[in-house]
Amino acid sequence: MLRQVKPKNARSKRALEKRESKVNENPKTCLFLRGTTCSQVVQDAMTDLHTMRQPLAKKFTKKNPIHPFDDASSLEFFSEKNDTSLLCFGSSSKKRPHALTLVRTFGYKVFDMLELILDPTTFRTLGQFKTKKFAVGLRPMLLFAGTAFESPVDNEFTLAKSMFVDFFKGETSDKIDVEGLQYIVSLTAEETTGEGDAKPKIHLRTYLIRTKRSGQRLPRVEVEEMGPRMDFAVGRIQVPDEATRKLAMKKPRGLEERTKKNVTTDSMGDKLGRVHLGRQDLSQLQTRKMKGLKRSRDVQADDNADDDGAVEEVVAEEVTKKIRKA
Amino acid sequence: MEAKPKLQVAVEKPTPYTFDLGHIMVEDPNPVELDHEAIEASLANVARDGAQSLINQLLTTCPLSTTKDGVLLSLPAPSNRLPREKPVPEAKAPTKWERFAAKKGILPKSRESRRNLTFDEESGDWKRKWGYGGVNKKGEGDAIVEVDMKAERERKEGTHVRGDNRRERKENLRRNERKQRKNSRDASANGRK
Repeated sequence: MLRQVKPKNARSKRALEKRESKVNENPKTCLFLRGTTCSQVVQDAMTDLHTMRQPLAKKFTKKNPIHPFDDASSLEFFSEKNDTSLLCFGSSSKKRPHALTLVRTFGYKVFDMLELILDPTTFRTLGQFKTKKFAVGLRPMLLFAGTAFESPVDNEFTLAKSMFVDFFKGETSDKIDVEGLQYIVSLTAEETTGEGDAKPKIHLRTYLIRTKRSGQRLPRVEVEEMGPRMDFAVGRIQVPDEATRKLAMKKPRGLEERTKKNVTTDSMGDKLGRVHLGRQDLSQLQTRKMKGLKRSRDVQADDNADDDGAVEEVVAEEVTKKIRKA
Repeated sequence: MEAKPKLQVAVEKPTPYTFDLGHIMVEDPNPVELDHEAIEASLANVARDGAQSLINQLLTTCPLSTTKDGVLLSLPAPSNRLPREKPVPEAKAPTKWERFAAKKGILPKSRESRRNLTFDEESGDWKRKWGYGGVNKKGEGDAIVEVDMKAERERKEGTHVRGDNRRERKENLRRNERKQRKNSRDASANGRK
């Protein structure tokens, strides 16, 4: 537990406010650190992952005597000290060679952990592929292929999916540049063919996207491997208890925009509003024009209306009389 | 010149892809069979299909807007929920004053009410509320003052009717400051709990 600091000046106050819990959270920063023994392969892998996560990343180079699944208190300390809620811990031992442990924290306490055992034979670094690289801070596209990631119950693979989404999403924004869709991180888990409980490997590949004119509206997409190339076997995991998960998944109130009633956008992207005009005065409505229904000019004419009617009746009688005579 | 054959852009899969455009993510729920002789080629194939369908989906469903910075895609909100990094901040408990103000319906002071000017009915002129020539000092410099005989009998030693108004004003100020100190003390005590 860190000492509670009371800010003494405006600058440190701002710095503390920046790391306070917020409704709209800061993007997660990832801390990369190594254990007392860490193979060169794992160190290279961490360097590459660090490069991909820039600028929301921090890297330590000193050795740390930490065993995340036995005692994660040091990781919690580092998380709080550096305000990093994602940690990537690299270690290598005889029992677990080339292990990368991804740790997420919630409120500076370990939320969940996933151990990934890197395959050193197929590992290739970012630098080993002589291609163009992505710009710093560019959001990758993500692909999860394979039925393992679709498991309805929580297991290593759904955890890995959640972890990798968290890891690669970087700074989220609701608008992205079409030009910024430059590379895809693909995570593939092969289908296991009934060999008991053998878990498939997770293949992490990163590809540059090349678009070609297809003659249609949508472009034809081709991929070119950019690196790094990593094959992981899943190792140990640690999942949060139900209460913590509920707290962490809580949606802050008042975040979702209230839908504005009666406002729609049509297919052309024009904003349409529906307004209430009040009750219409139907007495002023113009109906079909007929001589008999003609409104009188003034009150005088109104008074005489009855007389006029009588006159007309009289005329009618005379006409009938004439008809009878004839 | 012969027409080039059109390149395939549609991706056909037995189970359709699921998209989470908020995270620019696509999930391919189809079982993946890799050719272990040429594993990289088959992985690239899977990735190509996924990338193609994701780009198709992005370009067909997301509204595009052209700005001077480039063509921007508006992404929907992400559907996959991720854990927060810190707990949701709790709303601050209202202070004693805030509770009192809400009960009484006291609104925050407006710009106009903060102004040190008020209309004085007696003189028919705008006067300061406080400070030099302020209306809170009204009657302090009068040549003749009315004396309440009943109050005069109970007067404290060493005081005079001349200073009553000023004394009351200063006492009010001190009381207000006392209350302010107490409130801030109480607030910090509650905050520590």
